[in-house]
Amino acid sequence: MAQLKFLSDDEVKGMHNATLRILNEVGYVWTHKPSLEILTGAGCKIKGNRVYFPPELVEDSIKKAGKKVSIRGRGGVTKNLGDGNLYFHNLGGARDIYDAKTGGHRIAQMQDVRDATRLLDALENCHTITPFFTPQDVPGELMSLAMYRHALPFTTKPLQGPGVQFGPETKYAVRMAEVIGDPKEVLTLALSPVSPLTIPDHEAEAVIEIAKAGISFGALPCPTAGATSPMTISGSIAQQNAETLAVVILAQLVNPGLPIVYCGRLAMMEPRTGASVWGGVELALASAGTVQLGHSYGFAVNVYGFSTNAHTIDAQDGFERGLNAAIPALAGADELSGIGEMEAGVMGSYAQMVLDNELAYSVLRLRKGFSADEEALGVDMIARIMDGSRNFLGQKHTMKYLKAGEVQLTKFAERSSWEAWERNGKQGMVDHAIDAAEKILREHEVTPLEPQQEKELDDIMSAAEKELVKKR
Amino acid sequence: MSEELFKEMAQSIIDGDSDISTELAKKSIELNIHPLEAITKGFVVGVTYIGDQFGLGEAFLPELVMAGEAMKSAIAVLEPELLKLGEAREMMGKVVLATVEGDIHEIGKTLVGTMLSASGFEVVDLGVDQSADKIIGKALEINADIIGMSALLTTTMVRQREVIEELDKEGLRPRIKVMVGGAPITQDWVKKIKADGYSEDAIGAVKIAKELVGKE
Repeated sequence: MAQLKFLSDDEVKGMHNATLRILNEVGYVWTHKPSLEILTGAGCKIKGNRVYFPPELVEDSIKKAGKKVSIRGRGGVTKNLGDGNLYFHNLGGARDIYDAKTGGHRIAQMQDVRDATRLLDALENCHTITPFFTPQDVPGELMSLAMYRHALPFTTKPLQGPGVQFGPETKYAVRMAEVIGDPKEVLTLALSPVSPLTIPDHEAEAVIEIAKAGISFGALPCPTAGATSPMTISGSIAQQNAETLAVVILAQLVNPGLPIVYCGRLAMMEPRTGASVWGGVELALASAGTVQLGHSYGFAVNVYGFSTNAHTIDAQDGFERGLNAAIPALAGADELSGIGEMEAGVMGSYAQMVLDNELAYSVLRLRKGFSADEEALGVDMIARIMDGSRNFLGQKHTMKYLKAGEVQLTKFAERSSWEAWERNGKQGMVDHAIDAAEKILREHEVTPLEPQQEKELDDIMSAAEKELVKKR
Repeated sequence: MSEELFKEMAQSIIDGDSDISTELAKKSIELNIHPLEAITKGFVVGVTYIGDQFGLGEAFLPELVMAGEAMKSAIAVLEPELLKLGEAREMMGKVVLATVEGDIHEIGKTLVGTMLSASGFEVVDLGVDQSADKIIGKALEINADIIGMSALLTTTMVRQREVIEELDKEGLRPRIKVMVGGAPITQDWVKKIKADGYSEDAIGAVKIAKELVGKE
């Protein structure tokens, strides 16, 4: 099936060249001495607080970078990114949680991290899981580690690591991963440089730790077009590309061949307030463009996805996330984030997670397309039924394609008559999702960790608390 | 004749044109128009208009930023002239701004600073990643009326509470008022940490600041 392309090959090349110019002529704000030594050793120049990357180094690092990224869950299932399939995962890092039944919201607690993980474990189209909420009942310095620690017992699916910012934090995350397997196989880590074109010292240190440990790595720049990156989608993708490649280059110098997931998190600025627009369809355009650029380098690409600014599960929510998932999916994305996301990533919801699992089927159905070969066209069969029953219901051809998924069998979408719908209590898609979420949370069980593993994780958290939490 | 010039001054702010606002400021000096008149009857009118339009959702954030820069340029020309006359703008108050420790995001804070300056506050912007000691130290040094703190991350917003607790410990409130802001900040948080003021945007911040110094 032909992939959706918003950019011509020449335009993709033009973006790459723009990136080379940004890295070589504009430079990157970078002051972390140990990593600067590594970069200058490879030919980078420093002037003031900026580092400049020669184009040859950029091209070389892209070539060298590991393109195959895989992550294994403790249940034994491995996901290989870039194998041609589209995988989904959830939003990571929401502060609030939405109650679809009451329409209210509250601050997320640690228990929500556990429950969200267990719920996502039950959803077929959530292929890997990211720790969901940023619990506010945990000291800031431990938040990311606590998210990972308390997600581990509640899924056997591949569990991505939390977003990290610090070297020591990264080391503890790797130690925790060791409890369930080889960190190189069971863990991936992500880190966000600061837009525009800036990396704080502690993040550069974290990149080195990630690379040293051999952990598959995704750089997650989050520029806001018009505020921290150009107003134009293309200029922002080029800047985002520069922000990603700079840290990929460092990672490759520390550990040549380190597997890289190419990610994009570009959003527009809402010009009337300065807020981030995650629901507007520009997100779809940005994601699709990012897919094209990342693929031109040979990387597997991870973008959004299910994405809205809505505070309720309503028409805006459905419309926004539908378009924002379908478009990059059709552009060939390898991974889409956003399961459970609401309110520009500030809020998550159990009902939304279940709903997104359902919507994912539709996105996958779109991506599958439809066959137009001779057998599918079925002219001989048409001839036969015209001489006979004059309908297609009893045909083997009909059942064959039905079973192969030609028409998607939705679970929650309303397709009955008004009377039937009324008889069944006028339940809509959201009602079904709410009920299903409650049922899963009530009933779904996950093989627990061994007591020894739980103890090891607790010991690692204690050690982390001792080292990382400042006495104030 | 001055009426025409005042209109042009206001327009230069609305258009966000620093070159023209500078030019008009210089022209007003040549025409012996009192700098304070140029400011209050000309340029400030433009700032107020853009602020109101922004509040209505009719003007955009980039326009606000450009208006602030144009205002800054005009003030840079007119303020020295005021001093020469032995006069000064009526200062609304003194504000120390900072992004809290561990956080390096500053676009919103910088815009608040620009808008406060444009509205007659004396602003000292410490920049990013500022410890409680630095923030409180500067506030004491310049005898600030307001401390304004910004945080973008859920992991760093807790520093806002620490600064407030330190101020209370030293008995520096209510003499010094505290405003907080940033993307993860909510009214609940503001209540929880007992901050004195909060706004979702820079224009609202100016309003709150004026209320806190009793000038609104």
